[in-house]
Amino acid sequence: MHPDSDLQILMELYQEGDLAAATTLIHRLSPQLHRFFVVQLASRAEADDLLQETWLRIHKARNTYRSGEPVLPWLYAIARHIRVDHYRKERRTGARHRRLEDAPELAARPPEPSGDTPELAAILALLPDSQREVLEMMKVAGMSLEEVARATSSSVGSVKQKAHRAYENLRKRLSGVEFVKRHSGGGS
Amino acid sequence: MKDREIDQILERAAQVPHEVDARLLERVIGSIGQSMSAVRPRPAAGVLVGGLVLISAAVALAGAALRGFHGIQKMNGWERASVFPALIVPIWLASAALVSETIPGTRRRVSPAALLATANLALLAIFAVLFRDYHTVNFLYQGLICLATGIAYAIPTAFGSWLLLRHGFAVNPVDAGLAAGTLAGLAGVTMLELHCPNFEALHVLVWHTAVILVSAAGGAYLHGLIRRSNSKPSSPDY
Repeated sequence: MHPDSDLQILMELYQEGDLAAATTLIHRLSPQLHRFFVVQLASRAEADDLLQETWLRIHKARNTYRSGEPVLPWLYAIARHIRVDHYRKERRTGARHRRLEDAPELAARPPEPSGDTPELAAILALLPDSQREVLEMMKVAGMSLEEVARATSSSVGSVKQKAHRAYENLRKRLSGVEFVKRHSGGGS
Repeated sequence: MKDREIDQILERAAQVPHEVDARLLERVIGSIGQSMSAVRPRPAAGVLVGGLVLISAAVALAGAALRGFHGIQKMNGWERASVFPALIVPIWLASAALVSETIPGTRRRVSPAALLATANLALLAIFAVLFRDYHTVNFLYQGLICLATGIAYAIPTAFGSWLLLRHGFAVNPVDAGLAAGTLAGLAGVTMLELHCPNFEALHVLVWHTAVILVSAAGGAYLHGLIRRSNSKPSSPDY
């Protein structure tokens, strides 16, 4: 059974007005959606707001989910829209401008491991927005190239190219960083 | 460093549990629970695309019926066989693009901007081959009349499209507006081809195709305005 099949059944029940199905979906998908926002350099408080807004938007747009279609691209397309819109509003109010001034410093900083495992957000912070987003969807949400292409309204070729560049970037940036030796499991 | 090593690092990092405040989730569930009801899923994409094609054709035919089928009557068989398929194909493509723009997570076969450029270039090429009379009379005046007429029929097409797709959700309102404007503009040009008997090459090349550009730009601009003016939640429903 495809891992998305469960989600498809839950989404169909949600469309039929089943609150238990909606609750299960929210509990099951919120951690990865929240992480999606945190990885995009949002603070936890911002990620909380974005998560809440995303679910309210999903609730309003739940009729647009089509039975039999993968759930994650649909869900991430909405989450991505909320995030982009949030940044646009922030930029207008000037707050984004302030954060952009801090961003180069953050991006230039090598990731610092906490305990035995490096922070995902710290690793992905080394990448530009579009590459970070693609890698997050593929490696954290477990989406296929096709699903990421659907979620980002782009072609599979473009997603492949971004993923390839992300790996190139990470290879350059992570080489020589101490935690690589500690966390790569010693594999060559 | 190899890709496998990067994969391992990412996989380990991704396996670290990411907690979300339980009170936040309770709040979300509470908000959703208050307005929980069954919703009817949208019709299949093919049905919506068919509906948009029908709306475009109906508006163009109704406009020509009101103003007269002078254009198509003046055309020879070759011109009819070239111009109308060249309009029907992009109308179908623009309808498909618009429908996919209003359903999140749909596979995007062609971007609305690429569609607009391709449709315009294809029409320009066909018009340039078919209409060779480069002599002009009242170029500006006649042109503005055709532009205004085309736009006048693009507007009801856009309105009809909005009615059909109003329950959709555009994750990129500007692209959705561009697709809607392109579709409406194509319906306007179809009406002009049925109605306008002016076959001067420059008139057709400049003013008829301008209907698509003006309509597409208007659609994108309006949707951009709606997006900017919207407060939370932040996107127009289609």
